[in-house]
Amino acid sequence: MNGRVPLARKNLFQDRRRASLAVTGVAASLVLVLVLEGIFAGAMQQVSAYMRGSPADVFVAQEGVRTMHMTQSALPPSAVDAVASVEGVAWAEGLRYTNSIVDSGRGQRITYVLGYDVATGRGGPRRLAAGRPPGRGDALVDEAVAEELDIELDDTVTIMGTDFRVSGTSVDGTNIVNTTVYVRTEDFERLRGDNVAYVLVGAEPGVEPDRLARRIQTAVTGTTAQTRGEFARQEASVVRDMVADVMLIMTVIGFLTALAVIGLTLFTATLGKLREYGIVKALGAPPGRLAATVVGQAAWSVALGLLVAVAAAASLGAAIGALTPNVVVLIQPSAVLRTGTGAVIVGALGALLPLRRVLRADPATAFRRAS
Amino acid sequence: MSEIPSAVVVERLSKSFGHGDLAVHAVRDVDLRVVGGEVVLIMGPSGSGKTTLLLMLGAMLRPTSGSVVIDGIDLATAPERELPTLRARHLGFVFQDFNLLSALSARENVELACNLGGTTGSKARDRADHLLERVGLAHRTEFRPDQLSGGEKQRVAIARALANNPSVLLADEPTANLDSSHGREIGRLLRQLAEEDGRSVIMVSHDERLREVADRTLWLEDGLLREILGLATDPVCGMSVERDTSLHLQSEGEEWWFCSDACRADFALNPDRYASAGRSG
Repeated sequence: MNGRVPLARKNLFQDRRRASLAVTGVAASLVLVLVLEGIFAGAMQQVSAYMRGSPADVFVAQEGVRTMHMTQSALPPSAVDAVASVEGVAWAEGLRYTNSIVDSGRGQRITYVLGYDVATGRGGPRRLAAGRPPGRGDALVDEAVAEELDIELDDTVTIMGTDFRVSGTSVDGTNIVNTTVYVRTEDFERLRGDNVAYVLVGAEPGVEPDRLARRIQTAVTGTTAQTRGEFARQEASVVRDMVADVMLIMTVIGFLTALAVIGLTLFTATLGKLREYGIVKALGAPPGRLAATVVGQAAWSVALGLLVAVAAAASLGAAIGALTPNVVVLIQPSAVLRTGTGAVIVGALGALLPLRRVLRADPATAFRRAS
Repeated sequence: MSEIPSAVVVERLSKSFGHGDLAVHAVRDVDLRVVGGEVVLIMGPSGSGKTTLLLMLGAMLRPTSGSVVIDGIDLATAPERELPTLRARHLGFVFQDFNLLSALSARENVELACNLGGTTGSKARDRADHLLERVGLAHRTEFRPDQLSGGEKQRVAIARALANNPSVLLADEPTANLDSSHGREIGRLLRQLAEEDGRSVIMVSHDERLREVADRTLWLEDGLLREILGLATDPVCGMSVERDTSLHLQSEGEEWWFCSDACRADFALNPDRYASAGRSG
């Protein structure tokens, strides 16, 4: 405060109950924004977790297909060899994929079914949580869904209308939308034919994945090739597009609530001190000093509200994650920065009306009797 | 006194509210000179224009005409944006209701005034401590206004008024909310500050006790200011009235002065009742 008496802070915290209410109110509305953003970020991370955990540098799909969610891709088995022959490709492996339902008899979940080569493990899960890779007639289910649907190792589940024995559980395969089940390529082909959905491609050392993707797309007609990162981004964007409007509405509601809380708190605090502002003006405070006091109170409310909101959102996120393993709440620094920026704008707007009253406070009130 | 330069020079100061037939002339052609170290008490009935005069002296109200020169600066013509700084640096205010900021300690109240005058940090703190010590409140620096007595609050207010070492102190009813003992203490303190620092003190008050500490007492009525020699108390309403110009009445060998015909008539109907409430003169 440049060695000045911190009038803004002193005024705000003189009535601690009111200050607590203000900070709590701001924090509550910002928590809403942060948690929603956290759920959104978590969902986007989860939905693209398979791609990001894959050893493949390039994903090749049927022409025009850029995601796994909400699409179908079908390539002839010969596409794998065609891709493998492209210069710069170290390895190519077909990945079978379809949408289905996993049914434990105690519950169901929409699922991606991935048929992969257990020998290489390249199309399989990033890691097993328990059990062993699938043998014939076996399936891996995600640990979160195993818990949700009460599935134990060696239980039988129904996938694609066929019974599979659960040989193990995998990680990072469940999100807010669906889960992932892994079976052997042979079992998948038996039920769905030998078409591959995607070709996973490893680049030779020194070969740029994006350059290789372009080369594959040119060399193998009827395909769309994307780097792992691009494929993950495209997948995440599907979720983003689906919930963007809802997110926007909820975020606006959150900020409007914060605006109302800050505005109301500052306004009542200012009205209660209008005479004192008049006195400070009489003593020689220039308009800038009075404005700084009101803005300072808004800044304190917003800063403390944001701090409390971040702590509360992190705790809430952990609690949500513990109670519902399918939902990951990811509080990212960028979201905190964005919410903080929004809160600063909201604080500034909330300070406008009280500021107007303070600047118009009459110094002559100092000479009038206090009521 | 004419040889000592005046700290306050007021010439033909007038303030009217409204226009034409509806105009109210709150202050009319007031001339006033106050030298350094002088204590001037301005008295007058309610609605006489005292507060209007004080607001103009305090650079919070623009006069309709005339000038208010303090430390050589004419407040009547100073640019609006410079008035806050002029108030902070050249004037000290003492109010009837003390007007301390409730969220701040005694020290912070004084320190804030130092800040407004441009002194910050440890210099402001040291200055605040020094002034509070000077008014006898060295042991109360951390106390908030609600923890202080009325007399203590007014001492803090006086310390605050001295924050930027102004040449003029303006006091509005400085003893009105104090008992007689504390009222006298505050009066003496203001007198002392005028004498020791060569500061001009202008007080507006109904409190006759302050006449004891004033070098001059002026009477403001209907916007006109004049010097008075004798005041009396209306036995009916308790208001101070000027002996030279007020209505008066002889009763049982004593002379009584009144603010109005109504008070004089009430007194005449039952002199014993009012005479027992107060002595004449």
